[in-house]
Amino acid sequence: MLFGLGCLGLTGGSWGATLTVTVLMPDGHPLSGVIVTAHPSAGPAHAAEPLAAVMDQVDRAFAPDLLVVPVGSTVAFPNSDSVSHQIYSFSPAKRFQLPLYRGKAYPPVVFDQPGLVTLGCNIHDEMLAYVVVTDAPLYGATNKTGSWSAETPVGAYRISIWHPRIRDEAKYLEGEVTVGDVGSGTLTFHLAKLLKPAPLEGRPHSWDSY
Amino acid sequence: MGQLLTRVKAAVALVGALAVATTANAADWELDLDARLLTVNGPPPFIAGGLGTLRFGGDESGVRLGRARFAISQSLGEVLSVHLDASSWGDRDKTPVGLTEAYLQYRPYPRAGLRIRVKAGAFYAPISLENRLSGWESPYTLSYSAIDSWLAEEVRTLGAEGQLDWLGSRTGHDFDLGAVAGVFGWDDGAGAALAGGGFTLTDRQTVLWGRIGQPGVPPLHAAEPFRQMDGNAGAYGGLEARYLDRVVLRFLRYDNNANPGAVDAVTHTVAWNTSFDSAGLRVDGGNGWTGIIQWLKGATYISPQGVDERWPFRASYVLLSKRFGRQTLSARYDKFEVDDASATDGDDYGWQKGHAFTLAYIFQPGPRWRYTLEWLHVVSASYNREEYEDGPPMASQTQVQLAIRYALGPAARQ
Repeated sequence: MLFGLGCLGLTGGSWGATLTVTVLMPDGHPLSGVIVTAHPSAGPAHAAEPLAAVMDQVDRAFAPDLLVVPVGSTVAFPNSDSVSHQIYSFSPAKRFQLPLYRGKAYPPVVFDQPGLVTLGCNIHDEMLAYVVVTDAPLYGATNKTGSWSAETPVGAYRISIWHPRIRDEAKYLEGEVTVGDVGSGTLTFHLAKLLKPAPLEGRPHSWDSY
Repeated sequence: MGQLLTRVKAAVALVGALAVATTANAADWELDLDARLLTVNGPPPFIAGGLGTLRFGGDESGVRLGRARFAISQSLGEVLSVHLDASSWGDRDKTPVGLTEAYLQYRPYPRAGLRIRVKAGAFYAPISLENRLSGWESPYTLSYSAIDSWLAEEVRTLGAEGQLDWLGSRTGHDFDLGAVAGVFGWDDGAGAALAGGGFTLTDRQTVLWGRIGQPGVPPLHAAEPFRQMDGNAGAYGGLEARYLDRVVLRFLRYDNNANPGAVDAVTHTVAWNTSFDSAGLRVDGGNGWTGIIQWLKGATYISPQGVDERWPFRASYVLLSKRFGRQTLSARYDKFEVDDASATDGDDYGWQKGHAFTLAYIFQPGPRWRYTLEWLHVVSASYNREEYEDGPPMASQTQVQLAIRYALGPAARQ
């Protein structure tokens, strides 16, 4: 669900070639969890089929804290914690707020515009999560080897990558790749800037009451 | 007597109604019990009328109540909430139980990266960088730094505070910035403890309208910090910058703006004009390390009826902590000093200088139980000890505490 592979909506072309995108950090090590979206460079393309995703609240944290979904998808926000949360977003792609009192369920939120949606909790400042809403027909996220692959029709593709820790300018996070009749198309992003520090792990979530 | 009984009944009914409302509307509540086994030497503590520098002293070794606490946060609709924090410290205050904080908070959702928060009631100003747990406790040590011990004793906002935050981290930046301003009353007694007893290292928070010292025992004479003695409102303003979830930088300037010439006609207690600047930096590393440095400098001043006495004070600490899973090991070094810069007397009343080392090990296997072993050694010189206790001005105290804390309720956290 988290890094679902959408392969619907492409028109024309023949299938069977492989598109591979790899993201490497400045030290050459692979970066996993990078959101990858792929649009055909020419011709119309439809967004992948919407899906129903879930972003839970567990131990004062979003779980997961990064989702990529096709435009039109829904995301449910249950609260598995013993305390209340108040989820909000003021991102242009989706503004909403959701008072998640314990034991009270809300209908899933529809994400109907492409863009980056940053989520926070109005009660617990340390909670931070992202929903990437994409109109790309192909999307996913890099695995532990820093790569994402999809079976695609031949053709040229515009590739975009995004991750909350990447500091490189947006223009360096886009590229073009052609998937030929034979073999495959590959594109590697070599990040130039060091990543932002990862969110602190293991620190008790109660440590920011004041 | 009948009237008192009626009041008690009304209070019980109010607490009962609150408890029903709590469970009915899913308030976040917590009940904590913190028991101590300790050994300590040196003079008795300030709450017992002594001039010791620690929370315990004299013959208080043995089993003691650390803190019994009940706290609730109740939403009133979506953006309003009420917070009550009640504690008993098991010592000789006016009442066995009191409120350390009680406030209403208005917390609208952020818009376009900006957020406003407003508090009204009684609460701590955003100064401390170590006391980040609920109940204004520290995840690093039992005893607070000299700075935070003084704030716990005498400084509380009884008024209103507004905070404006720019949430850069929610808009693709690495930084959040905040500005805070508060207006308050009922803190004209703040400063008496510094001039009377000096800085301490304690985890005892004076409850609202509680006292420090004991009646008839100089130099504190059961001083009450939370008093309004003139028509002046105090104020503070502060700035905060955060880098991701790693670094917090805080500045705050505080002035209770008390009329230093004001005297209470009935109790003959005086108002203390107290102001200070504070600054602090906290860095959380990615490998369980935390470092904090904090600094505070100010002065307290009284000038009733021809008297003109002023005590500049300053304190600082550095804390280093390493978390290993559910265990935390911390070390802190404190320095503190109160000068006597008085114009009208020839003595050194209030002069104090000292430093302290604190080592603490905390094991918290889950949200309910927390075990802490703390060693604290403080060396301090105080003019008042010589003057009021006929003892040497120098005192060296060592306190070792084993604390066992049990927490109950949905707000009890790991």
